[in-house]
Parts: sequence; C-alpha cells; structure tokens
Amino acid sequence: MRRRDLLLAAASLGPALIGCGSEHAAAGPAPKLAPPAPKTRPGLGLAYFSSFGVDEKLIREGLAAALSRGAERADLYFQHRVSTWISLEDGEVNRASTVVELGVGVRAVRGDQTGYAYTEELTLDAVKSAGATAAVVASGPARGAPSSYRTGLLTRRFAAKVGWDGVGASQRLPLLSELDKAIRAGDPRIKTVKASLGSEHGAILIVDSEGRVFEDLLPMAVLYASCTAEENGRRETNGYNVAGRAGFEFFTKERLGRVAKQCVDRTTVLFQSVPAPPGEMPVVLAAGASGILLHEAIGHGMEADFNRKNTSIYADRIGKPIAKDLVHIVDDGTLEGARGSIDVDDEGNASQKTLLVDKGVLATYLHDSISAKQYGLAPTGSGRRESFRFPPMPRMRSTYMLPGPHDPAEIIASVKKGIYCERFSNGQVEIGAGDFTFYVKNGRLIEDGKLTRPITDVNLIGNGPKVLEKIDMVGKTLEFDEGGWTCGKNGQSVPVSLGMPTVRVASMTVGGRKS
Amino acid sequence: MSSEALNIAEKALELAKQAGAQAAAATVQRYREVDTTWRDGKLEKVSDATSRMLTVQLYVDERYGSMVTSDLRPAALERFVADSVTMVRALAKDPHRKLPDPATYEGRSTEDLEIWDPAVPALSADDRLRRAKALEAGARDVKEASRILSVTGSFGDYSAELTRVTSNGFSGSYRNTYVSQSAEVSVKDDDGRRPSEWADASVRRLAALPTPESVGKEATERALRRLGAKKVASGTKTIVVEARAARGLIRHLIAPLSGSALQQKESFLEGKLGAKIAAAPLTLVDEPLLHGALGSRPFDGEGMSTKRRPIIEKGALRSYFIDTYYARKLGVAPTIGGPTNLVVPPGTKALEALIKDVKDGYLVTSFLGGNSNSTTGAFSLGIAGFRIERGVTKEPIGEMNMAGKHLDFWRRLAAVGNDPYVYSSTRAPSLVFDGVSVAGT
Repeated sequence: MRRRDLLLAAASLGPALIGCGSEHAAAGPAPKLAPPAPKTRPGLGLAYFSSFGVDEKLIREGLAAALSRGAERADLYFQHRVSTWISLEDGEVNRASTVVELGVGVRAVRGDQTGYAYTEELTLDAVKSAGATAAVVASGPARGAPSSYRTGLLTRRFAAKVGWDGVGASQRLPLLSELDKAIRAGDPRIKTVKASLGSEHGAILIVDSEGRVFEDLLPMAVLYASCTAEENGRRETNGYNVAGRAGFEFFTKERLGRVAKQCVDRTTVLFQSVPAPPGEMPVVLAAGASGILLHEAIGHGMEADFNRKNTSIYADRIGKPIAKDLVHIVDDGTLEGARGSIDVDDEGNASQKTLLVDKGVLATYLHDSISAKQYGLAPTGSGRRESFRFPPMPRMRSTYMLPGPHDPAEIIASVKKGIYCERFSNGQVEIGAGDFTFYVKNGRLIEDGKLTRPITDVNLIGNGPKVLEKIDMVGKTLEFDEGGWTCGKNGQSVPVSLGMPTVRVASMTVGGRKS
Repeated sequence: MSSEALNIAEKALELAKQAGAQAAAATVQRYREVDTTWRDGKLEKVSDATSRMLTVQLYVDERYGSMVTSDLRPAALERFVADSVTMVRALAKDPHRKLPDPATYEGRSTEDLEIWDPAVPALSADDRLRRAKALEAGARDVKEASRILSVTGSFGDYSAELTRVTSNGFSGSYRNTYVSQSAEVSVKDDDGRRPSEWADASVRRLAALPTPESVGKEATERALRRLGAKKVASGTKTIVVEARAARGLIRHLIAPLSGSALQQKESFLEGKLGAKIAAAPLTLVDEPLLHGALGSRPFDGEGMSTKRRPIIEKGALRSYFIDTYYARKLGVAPTIGGPTNLVVPPGTKALEALIKDVKDGYLVTSFLGGNSNSTTGAFSLGIAGFRIERGVTKEPIGEMNMAGKHLDFWRRLAAVGNDPYVYSSTRAPSLVFDGVSVAGT
C-alpha cells in the first residue's frame, strides 16, 4: 500500500503477478487548445459488452446509484481482459497460464474527491451496490443519470489483424521452440534459455454521467527472452523483449530473429565487461530505450496530479525554460501499434500527442479530467488505470524526445572520458526532490571519443531539472524502443513506450565502483 | 473455512477432472479492501470493494498449466476449464510437474497465528475517516509546519480468506486481516525542490497500530530533515543502513536463493550451501509462524506445511527456497517456494550507538531505484541519507549511489542494530557495512 513508488521496468521473464524518424514538429499547436472532440453517433451503441449482459438499464441504474448523493460526475468502466502466456525452459514449451478479468469499476467525483468501488459480477444488484458505495464521497441531493447517450467513434491506432482468441497453443508453441534453437545456435557458450510469449485480448466500455459512451478493443503481444552463458566458470545472464498493441501477426520471422540475436549479443558481450567507474562524468544515451531518462527525469513530474497537489518539482514551472532550446519532449498516445498507445483514455477522453517541453520551455502537464478541471484546461487524454479495480489518474503513454541537430558519431566523439548507455532494465523517481535513477544493462566506456570496453549493472542517478539543463547535444535520428515497458505508480501498472535520439548529458553521477 | 469458497474450489476440481485432468489444485481467494485517503483538510479518495479470484492448476497427461479467473458464472467457468485443458494438452510433457508429496501437507500448525482480527472488517467509515484525519493532524503538529506543502494520510484495511484444495488430499483455509496507516509529507526547500518523506505502520491487528498522530509526525520530521540535501564526493566509506531501508538489501538475496535461479544457472549462490556468504553478524531465518506478523501462514502456496527455517546462520548459508517443481528438477527435497517472514535477529546496539562508532561515513535512510544481478551478484543502488562525521549525524545527502558485489559486500557487514522494522514481512534491524564504494561528485 506504499503510495510513492514510481517504477518503470522491462518486466522480468514471464507473467508477473502480483517492468524511426519523426519529423521535427516545431512548436506544434499551443498545447492549451482542446483536443479535437471525438466524433459521436447518437445512442448507446454496445457491441462487445452486450454479450456479457450489459444493457441500458444496468448502465442507467449504476450511474444513478453513483450520483445518488450528489456527486458532480460519475462513470462506469467495464473491462474484459484475457491474458495468456506460454513459457519455454530447458528446451521445452511446458507451461501455460491464462488469466481472465471481468468486472466494472464505478467512480463518483466531486471536485478533486473520488469515491470508487468495483464488482466482478455484472448484475444489476451488484452494479447498483457498487454505485452506492462510490456515491458516499458526496453528500447532497441526488443527480439524475443521463437520459440519452452518444457513442464515440474512435480513431483506431492499433488492431489485431490476427485476433488472439482464434490463435491456439499449437500455433504459438513453434515460435518459442524456434527462438530457443536460434538463441542456442547463436553461441556455444549459451547454457540456458528462457522465453515467454504473452497475449492480451478483450475490451473496455466507458459510460459517463454526461451520456458519453466509448467501447474499444485492446490487443497486446509480448515476448520476453533471456539466456545464461558460461565461459571459464564465469556466467552472465541478459535478455531482450518486444511488445506492441497487435495480434499474432506481430511475431514476424524478422522480429523473432532480432530477439534471438539481441539476446545472444547482449549476453555474450558481458564476458568482456568491466565495472563502470563511480562519480560524475559525461553520459551519452543511445537512441531508443534511453527515453527511460525522460520518463523518470520529467515525465512523472509532469503528471498533473502531483502538480495540483503542489508536490512536484515542476509545480510552478509552466512557461519557464528548463532546458536548452534544442530539447523538445513529447508524450504521445497515438503512435501506431505502440505498447503505450491508446485510442481513448480510461475516462473517455481522446488520445493525443502532448508536447511537454517545447524549445526547452515547459509547455503543459499531463491531465486527467480532475486536474484539467482544476487548471481550467482540456484533458490531455492521460487518465489511465490498470484495470476496473482502480480509478484513473494521469499517466504517460509513449514518451520521447524529438530529433535535434547533431550527428550521433559526433556526440560520442565529443566525450573524452565518460559512458555510453544502450539498454536498461528499470528506473525510479522522487517527484518532489526530483532525484531519479535508471539502471543500465548494456553500455560502453567512452575513452578519448571512442566506444571501448562493455559495462553492465550500473545505476545512474541525477536530479530531473538539473539533468535536463545539462542535455547539450541531441542526435538527428529518433528511435522508438520496441520493449515491453511497464510503469508503476501508486500500486497501478500500465503499459508504456519510450523513444529517444542519441543525446549527451554533460554530467551525471554514474553509480559504478572501484575495480 | 466458508462453505461457499470450499464449494467453488471443489467444483473447479470436478470440472478439471471432467475435462480430462488427472490431477488438479484449486485456490479461492476472497478479500475486501478499503482505502480512505485524506489530503490537506479534505477527503481525497475512498474506495471499497469485495473481490474474489479462483486459481486452478491443471495436470493433464503429464503436462501442466494454470488458469486464473474472477468470472465464476457456471457456464463461463466450465468453458474456461475445458479450454485451459485443451491448451495444456498442446504443451510438451514435463515429468517434473506433479502435485506435492502428501507427506509435505502433514504437521500443519494449528496454533492461532493472530493474523485475523475481527475488529478490522467491523471498522466503520467514520473510524477510518477519523484515523486518516488524525494522520494529517499529527503531521502538522510540528514547529516548522509553515514549510509543509501537502500532507496525505491514508488508512487502508484488508480482510481476506484463502481456501485451497487439491486432488491428492490437501484441504486448507486461513483468514487474515491487514491495517495500514501511512502519511506522506512534502515540504518546500529553499532551492525550489520539494522533498517528501513518509511514515507507515502496517500490522495484522488494529490494537497493534501506534497512534495515527505519531505516524504523521514521523513523516513530517523525516521530510524536514531532508531540507538542503546535497551530493558529496565519491569514495569508499562505512555505510549504516537504517532498519526501514535494510529490508531492501535483504530482499536482493532472495532471487538467487530460489530453486528456479539455481536450476537455470542464474544464481551466484549455487553450490554455496554450508559456505560463508556473509560476515558472522548476519543470521537470517524464515519464520512462517510468527504471531501477528505480515508474512505468517500455516501452509505455503502449494499446501506444504510451513515451519521455521534458518536460511543464513552466522554468515553460513543453510537453506534455499525450493518449491516442489524445482526440487524434482534439481533432485533435492523441497523446502518452501518463497519467504514468509524474513527475520534478522537483532544485535545489542541502538542506531545512535552504531552511528557513534563511525568515523567517516553515511547513514542511508532510503534507496532509490537500482537493481541487483542474481547471476553475478553485482548491484548498484541509488541512496539518500546523511553524512556521518566522528560519530555524529551531519547534513542530509542525496542523488548518490552505492555499488558492489554481494559476496564481497555481505562479508563487510560489521554490526547489526537492535531495532528491527516490524511493519514489514522482512524484519531487519539497521546494518553497518565497512568499505563500500559510493558514487557522488
């Protein structure tokens, strides 16, 4: 129940209960403008959820119960999600697991106050009872449920071309078996291989007290692979993972080949690794997954819940310069097929591309409907939740930096003594103090402008605003990472994506050790 | 045990058998979780829900799979079990997958572990709100209250029941409760930073909670101590890790102690049974039957009866965490799949006395991010805390890091305190390490 954990992780192998080029969008439209209102058609157009017994009466009475004590707004969030994993170990695909989640969350809102309840029974009595529980956040005369509905027509950013519910185990198994062979064939030093292939399919349905209705299908494809290699008694383990909002078609031969090669290369290179040095030094971040720096150094601090509560280090900095003018940072829910993409957020606001930092100036926070109302702005489509068991809050989607003027080779050559970071496993931030970390799994020393010996297992630590000020070179090519990143905040995990051009941070503390 | 949960579990076993499973296990979990959050003079959030979950493990023609669902509509459940069995049939055979030997079910503790308190489910909305408000009141009742930007007080309570049955004769159930009072306080620093700190008390029984005011006050005092935190020079130093943070270090030892890591060649502790892996002050015991503790339970996730188990004794490794499956793969006897309550027996000195013995070093009060590699034992962790000079705690430090390799690091453990942190299933006291590599400026 700890409330302050903000973790980003490339989730470890297997199902965890319980981690391109883009044109330079110079200064885009003023972020204060409202996102284009989603197109709608009149009526309650239910497709997916009607087969679960959800109808107009259940929705109307559920909302009426939530509004029964005078809440200003209420919404129902129905969810059906089927997650299936198959896993390989010791050369055999010999385990499978499936998790089915079905339920509805009921939220009542008064100002910035939230009442919340959920139920796994989609019956009239259970939904009304949950509504009555959520309603207690307010105390006043009842407000009425909507008398008419408008169903949103979403701009689709992803789709499962080959839907997961039709893909049986016999089609999935060979992918892992072939991956296992490819990794083992990649290097004779590889002793063990583990891999898991996961899929999600299902839908969400959001209906709010203004009569807005959104139903969306949310597919996901994920593959984790790792291996352990041995040389002269020394062992090293490393891995690679890929994820996207897609169906079975996601797993092309080319993608699987890349997973195998990355898995082998990232592991075997570690036999040459040396401890990274400790202390402050220039850090060059490779294009791609280095977007983890943005996620931690600024992304969480720009989530508007921390700012409306006055607890973020960025709470009074909108409109102020925080970085050099070559720095533009975006949080984007609209990338085609990205793991962090959404068509609509989890409270019915259209997804969008939000410019957080424009020419080094802090432009806008990431808003959910509660913070947007408090600031008198339009929501940015950032209200997300882990599942029907949780109320939404402002979250990131895909966070990346736009390309800059520098040649990546020139950036590396500019550093006399420092480190180059390529691959990461996890990060964390303290919102108020602004200190953040990210953990490097693959990197290199930079000596006299050249990449030299490999490094691994080193944590980097910095202070968000200070590090942003020290970004003084930005590469010409933006790359998006294809990894399966999961972001944790206040006990809720959501899928996110990252992207970055090659970047130089003039100085940062490297958590290495004396060798 | 409630007859409804048992009925659901037994029905699931029957469906599994009908669908073709030769063996199966079913676990039903039901819980109510209520969270009341009070912030800056008003209610921020109240959430309240009762939930349930069914997990079925299926053993079909020497193959294995599992399924989890909250959709218990009879027709949906029957179809889901049948579909899951079909999926399991497509997998490769795995001769090591079997239910536990029924002998491991024997000897289950019948004592009252004091992990269920009827006063918890009986709490009223007013009780919860009063406590959440009192967290804030305590947090603001300090001299430098004008520095405070925001106070959030949370009162959470949870009551649950777990029921498990297996087709080879296991049947068991237990209930537990959990209550938590936590406060988070943000304060304004002169340089524009807004450091925050927290305090928390999580226990099984309502009567074991300290006053909410004391928890709130601790959070503010901790936050105020963070004002002016600075990064200082890199070096090799003595580190005192405060009890509340020390459990994070202990937890890094758990993954490499697992049967899975050993069997997959991902453990730097492979082959170390009986060997010294830490200095003599470190003893670590898994204590599943500790009364009133957060990790206590009469049987583990597979139904194996739990018992006290030394993991490390005076620095020597005594036991791994090995479940039934990896025990068969490794050809050894199972122990337990994972830790329950991890207890480091306390030493004799209070934290102040440990600090007094340090000439030049750091008191670490929290870790930020970082990770640990179970295969090689290398780790690197962000730290925040205070500088120690000639036995006296000095100015706050932050934005720093410590790194090492576990087998070297734990041999540098010089002393353990008398102050175990009890609001966690890992009960570790403050720990002192000599010669740790710290990165700063």
